[in-house]
Amino acid sequence: MQTSSTRASLAVLRSAPALLFVAVVVLFAILAPRFLEVQNFANILTQSANVAIVAVGMTFVLLLAGVDLSVGAAMYVCAAVAGLYFKDLPAPAAMALMTAIGALFGAINALFIVGLGIAAFIVTLATLFVGRGLALHLSQTKMVFAGDPVLAFGQGGFLGISYAVWTMAIVLLLALWVQQWTPYGRYLYAIGADREGARKAGIPVRRVVFATYVLCGTLAGLGGFVSFSQVAAASSGFGLQKEFPVIAAAVLGGTSLFGGRGGVLGSVFGAILIQTVQNGLVLLNANPYLYPLVISAIIFIAVLLDSQRTRILARLTRRQIRIEPGVEARRSTAT
Amino acid sequence: MWRFLRRLLTSEYLVLLLTALYVLCLWPFAPEIVSAQTALEVIMAMLPLLLLAIGQTFVLIVAGIDLSITSTMAFSSVVAAALMTGDGGYLAGNALAVPVALIAFLLIGLAVGCANGLCVVRLGMPSFMVTLVAQTFLSGAAIWFTSLHSTSVSIGDLPAAFSVIGRGGIAGIPYALLLCLVVAFAAHWLLGRTTLGRWLYAVGNNPRAATVSGVPTGRVIIIAFVLSGFCAALASIVYTSRLETGTPVLGQRVLLDVIGAAVIGGVSLFGGRGKISWVILGVLFLSVVDKGLQLLGLSQSIVFAVKGGVILLAAIIDALRSRILVRVAA
Repeated sequence: MQTSSTRASLAVLRSAPALLFVAVVVLFAILAPRFLEVQNFANILTQSANVAIVAVGMTFVLLLAGVDLSVGAAMYVCAAVAGLYFKDLPAPAAMALMTAIGALFGAINALFIVGLGIAAFIVTLATLFVGRGLALHLSQTKMVFAGDPVLAFGQGGFLGISYAVWTMAIVLLLALWVQQWTPYGRYLYAIGADREGARKAGIPVRRVVFATYVLCGTLAGLGGFVSFSQVAAASSGFGLQKEFPVIAAAVLGGTSLFGGRGGVLGSVFGAILIQTVQNGLVLLNANPYLYPLVISAIIFIAVLLDSQRTRILARLTRRQIRIEPGVEARRSTAT
Repeated sequence: MWRFLRRLLTSEYLVLLLTALYVLCLWPFAPEIVSAQTALEVIMAMLPLLLLAIGQTFVLIVAGIDLSITSTMAFSSVVAAALMTGDGGYLAGNALAVPVALIAFLLIGLAVGCANGLCVVRLGMPSFMVTLVAQTFLSGAAIWFTSLHSTSVSIGDLPAAFSVIGRGGIAGIPYALLLCLVVAFAAHWLLGRTTLGRWLYAVGNNPRAATVSGVPTGRVIIIAFVLSGFCAALASIVYTSRLETGTPVLGQRVLLDVIGAAVIGGVSLFGGRGKISWVILGVLFLSVVDKGLQLLGLSQSIVFAVKGGVILLAAIIDALRSRILVRVAA
């Protein structure tokens, strides 16, 4: 009976992000009638695209039980380089350039993490500093303006849907395919759940980890491009602390910080949820100073749900260990 | 040669050596770096950082991390300033204003530490995420609180009796330095000579083994976070009284310095390893690097980038060191 109640609470915890989303939508729909307009939802999607794209890369890193704190800095470096030196590039070329810079940034992270075996947390913390310092130096802490082709990308669309949303959708579909249908996707979960076991099973752990940090940097570059095209100019605060909403989006979407659990679909959903809350607060004319308080409260709930789920899962596995016959044998040898 | 290098890398005082080397390298380019004035400035700059780093060390030893320290500082700074400011403060002109404000600082620090600890222990949330949320929440709250009390971005006009803490001293020794020495000695004693100290290391090394051996693991972790919050409050007192204003952006940039300093000193991010003397050396190193770059006249953005490089370098040295130690042990 106890297991059935734990299973029930697990089911509730698993669908908690969806319930949270419904609650938020209903709440804002009641408080602000304008919230339910189609145009408003289109705005929400367009505005959440950059965080969602970066969150996809972050999800893969989190699945490995790693973390990348440098995504915001990578976004800023990409925007600064593109805006300062390659202003006249057509949009696709600018996109490719920024994505490539992001990939390079990710490769540097990966080199230190995989090559030297340093904790991802400290490596990406350091590259955050180096990246931001570098970009600030390049831009002389001044505004960096996007070129006209990039601006056109930010404002334009296809079939009535903005390019940003198209980009987000394509990234999501590709990532879903990679996650569900390729060996690499399978490896991610295996390594995150049990790194040592994965290594023993013959999975090229180091190569997969390396590729994942490069991928995260790449998507940070792409997210930086989308964001740059929308805000038109990168100030010294561009991408500052972006890692926070990105990780939050992934965690809100059900990706565990402990590795091995979650997926990209949830992360995109989490990014949209955060943007929905922000959008609703704007429509309600809430005091802008209160936004960070509300957002952090929601993230707190998400992390709390994740940890409760982890705890229940841990309890379930512990039960199974107790039935193992090996325990009896060990006890007899101890005495 | 190889053996000498290995001895050097595994030495506890490698950081001190690096500091000396750095000063020597900079000497020809910025002769002012070797002067009593610079030394004094470095020490004064280091004090609040050291307070923060000591608090952080307790948390790092139990394999946690506290990212909320700077926001704790900012929040306690504006709340205490709102209590005692002559410009419409709650206790403006009252003789008790300063003591009450000091208590407010400490209470906020303790409360934040306690809340962080409870979330980590009782709710099983990762400390990284808990304190990250606390950071966003408190810095948001500090800005919001300031907007209620002041039209400008900070709360000024603090009583003279308060600013004395940051600027005054006994017999030429600044109060801040005395405070720092007391905290450092107390922390050193706590880690090295008390049961609680042993427990902190035990929990950091292996929480399960600690629990099985009868260590109240949960309570020990909560105490570590409370100590971190307390140290953040002390640092906030020093910073606020130095600036003579309560500001919601207090110490926004020092968070990474603090963690960097602890890691450079040799405190492990994975718990179980750390000493106050190491932390002092780490903070000294980072403060000297900072000062040196300033004396060279480099821009703030380059200082930012170099600091990141230094943290990375420290992490690489740490990785090499633990690899060598593992090989020696095997």
